[in-house]
Amino acid sequence: MGKTKYKELRGSQILRQNLVLATLSRTPVRIHDIRPNTISPGLRPYEKSLLDLLEKICDDCFIDINETGTILKYKPGIVMGGKNLEHDCGLTRSIGYFLEPLILLALFGSKPLSIKLKGITNDSKDPSVDTFQSTTLPMLKRFGVNPDDVNLKIESRGVPPLGGGEVILTIPTVKSFSAVSWTDEGMVKRIRGVSFSTRVSSQFEHAMITATRGVFNRLLPDVHIGTDHRKGPRAGNSPGFGISLVAETTTDCLMSVDTAVSYGYAEETTELEEEKQELPNPEDVGEGMAYALLNDIGKGGVVDSTHQGLLFLLCALCPNDVSKVRVGEITPYGIETLRNIYDFLKVMFHIEPDPSNQTVLLKCVGYDLKNFSMKHF
Amino acid sequence: SERTRSRQHVNLMKLVYGKSTDISTTSSNEAHDTSDEENDGGDFFTPVGRINKNDSEVVDGENANSEDCSKHFKISNDLDIESIRDRFVTGDWSK
Repeated sequence: MGKTKYKELRGSQILRQNLVLATLSRTPVRIHDIRPNTISPGLRPYEKSLLDLLEKICDDCFIDINETGTILKYKPGIVMGGKNLEHDCGLTRSIGYFLEPLILLALFGSKPLSIKLKGITNDSKDPSVDTFQSTTLPMLKRFGVNPDDVNLKIESRGVPPLGGGEVILTIPTVKSFSAVSWTDEGMVKRIRGVSFSTRVSSQFEHAMITATRGVFNRLLPDVHIGTDHRKGPRAGNSPGFGISLVAETTTDCLMSVDTAVSYGYAEETTELEEEKQELPNPEDVGEGMAYALLNDIGKGGVVDSTHQGLLFLLCALCPNDVSKVRVGEITPYGIETLRNIYDFLKVMFHIEPDPSNQTVLLKCVGYDLKNFSMKHF
Repeated sequence: SERTRSRQHVNLMKLVYGKSTDISTTSSNEAHDTSDEENDGGDFFTPVGRINKNDSEVVDGENANSEDCSKHFKISNDLDIESIRDRFVTGDWSK
């Protein structure tokens, strides 16, 4: 009988990346000290749901959680992918939380993935499904993924607390990524976006859009924000509204922000609070998001702050060629990602500030991840 | 100057990877054998010379269990619109 050598990790801060990197590098991990000293220690329902999702798309993976949920043992299997899969992401974290790791794993699967994900499509914590459509998925094209094979369809929307959203994600497999030299962010040529409303008047959307446009039009005329007013079953189970904005540059870089407002997650509100709680004013939401996007544009870089982690992961998984990218300030999550990449793949980035415009240039030689399980048709 | 430039570079590398990115011989963070009933049919390569986690923990503090969240932006309407005008095609490029 062989012994499994587990890589020892601590805490849950970057659990998703730990699981992705463990799977792609075939490294068994033992993560301990998962919220040991909190009122409810251990893995959260959404983390357990993510592990269930991993079991669904992988063959032969082994997951063991101790009684208190503070220790997780994970031995990766082979990502199989497959069609007509379905997963309920639950109501404690949005679908965006699951999409981030799922996309990377699916690309290195044996077969293309097509999966229906149920739960919350829009909230304030994770990138929304709109951001995945407008910004995240198109990013993959830079690394050699055929954009025609990538798709995310929003069947119904759902906001907290009761969700009811449904999306269908289609991801192809790749043999490997291709390295990038991606340092020219260009200039913003237009702003696009979409607002949505579920179980409230579409007036909320119009108020948000007007306020958003008011900010952007001081800088450029080409601003178009669509609306997506949902009624009936396609509006999910809870009232809410939100907006997702994306700036497109002359070199086809995409920078995005999004948010949603609703009555919040069930765990976060007591019944007493719920009675007096009022949704924020849509004008403030629209204006706030416009400024959030402008702040991010001001920092520079070829991706927005939210996508730094994914950008670094994509570069690190490239073949043994040099990838070079530019970002604005490195975010705390970006820093954690770089450390995590080094920890699993031994890929270290060369990080250098560009004083001419206050940005940061990063270079690395990829880990050269190859998809050996890919089926050829 | 070239000197400040290289200094900033060192600082960013240090910020991200900590002090001992050069070969560290610490064993505190090495994957140790954990007996296990499962048969995985082979050993896994565990590299030596990893980042000294104790260093990065000084930076991280108790953040090991902070939220696993990529979304990051700053809402502040005190942004000076003029300061970013040149990031737009409509900016003034005569300067």
